[in-house]
Amino acid sequence: MKLEKLIGGSSEFNEQTIEEMLRRSRPRIDHALKAMRRPEVAVGVVNSPLGALLVALGGRGILLIHYLGGADDLESAIAKLRLAVDPVEDRSKIKAVGAEIGRYLAGDADALRRDADLTLAPSPFQKKVLYKLQQVPRGAVVSYQALGAAAGAPKGARAVGNALHNNPVPIYVPCHRVIASDGGLGGYGGGIARKLKLLRSEGFALSKADERLPDSVVWGHTGTKVFCRSTCHTTARVDRTKIVFFADPEEAKQAGLRPCKICRPG
Amino acid sequence: MAHPKLQLPLPFEQILCRHEREIMRYLLRASGDRDDAADLFQETWLRAYRAYPRLEPDREVRPWLYAIAVNLCRNRARDGARRRRVIVADDQQDSAAERAGKTHRSHHENDGYATVRLGELISALPERQREALQLRYFAGLDYPEIAKIMKCSQPAARANVSQALRKLKSLW
Repeated sequence: MKLEKLIGGSSEFNEQTIEEMLRRSRPRIDHALKAMRRPEVAVGVVNSPLGALLVALGGRGILLIHYLGGADDLESAIAKLRLAVDPVEDRSKIKAVGAEIGRYLAGDADALRRDADLTLAPSPFQKKVLYKLQQVPRGAVVSYQALGAAAGAPKGARAVGNALHNNPVPIYVPCHRVIASDGGLGGYGGGIARKLKLLRSEGFALSKADERLPDSVVWGHTGTKVFCRSTCHTTARVDRTKIVFFADPEEAKQAGLRPCKICRPG
Repeated sequence: MAHPKLQLPLPFEQILCRHEREIMRYLLRASGDRDDAADLFQETWLRAYRAYPRLEPDREVRPWLYAIAVNLCRNRARDGARRRRVIVADDQQDSAAERAGKTHRSHHENDGYATVRLGELISALPERQREALQLRYFAGLDYPEIAKIMKCSQPAARANVSQALRKLKSLW
């Protein structure tokens, strides 16, 4: 088969030419790639009291915390992450994040040192909701409705729920601190058990089966700076978009509120 | 507590290192021109980088890279043909193979001429036959890989190559 041999073998370009072309092309490619490079981030899987987490840590903070289900879950989470960044495994960095979360759940209020990077939040509104949410301190919770009002959408409680569902950095952006405005606990992306665990570690007296905030919670009004017992009759007619729930009277006082003179909490 | 094991796909740099040589070789031979090959080479890798996250983890990298290169070659050939058609009036245009047949028939035994003539004959082949032939003999890929690249069945890939060979032999 002379012709096949000729097609396969004959070429005016020998290996030397190829090497030379490669040498010249490499800098051009590097230069062109530089403009379109996805940022490199450290990723890893780490165990925590909340189960296995997939964590991505970029230059500006934590990009992603993902509660892991099965093996498929990890694969699809990585595939999604890779659309935006180039992940590189770095166990020691991620272990440090896991350690922070572990300490936090053990009750160390200052354990979460790193910033959350909200680049992966899907929409501007959702980003805004998450930014506002970061102002809710440990020991307090707000309602979906109140958070919506704070983010400029007083009727957007459902949209807030969506934003929290898409929260790329749970725990650090405290989406577990958002509940239904009637005191019910609402849902959680990682399952209600994790939400309960997180809230308990922040001082809320919740038992395993609780689906509502306990009566020890006080209602704080961000406008009047007054806090009441949940049973106080004034709570029935206040503007719910201004309500923040505190784990106990102490937390409310620390936030700069005074007790109600009618129901005398604390 | 055991957690699921993290398995990241290869970094893009490693893929670049591993395959750049064969892609360059293929592009040089398929385009027959250094400048064209250099452009196509860069474009291939930029596209590959952009598309890399969307490559499913269980798909093979090599056929995927070749598919990008083949598509780019095809686009380039189409654009080139369009440009040439504007410049050359229709009645003066006879096929490259015919022209090659007229000019080089007597130089069969001369290696340089044979290479050039062969190149012209190959570039005159129908698109899919040419691509299949180039993948088989320039890149040395096997039929399952060619079928993946060209999105056809293995017998179809085989048929394309053999038809291309038959045509070349009849013109040789």
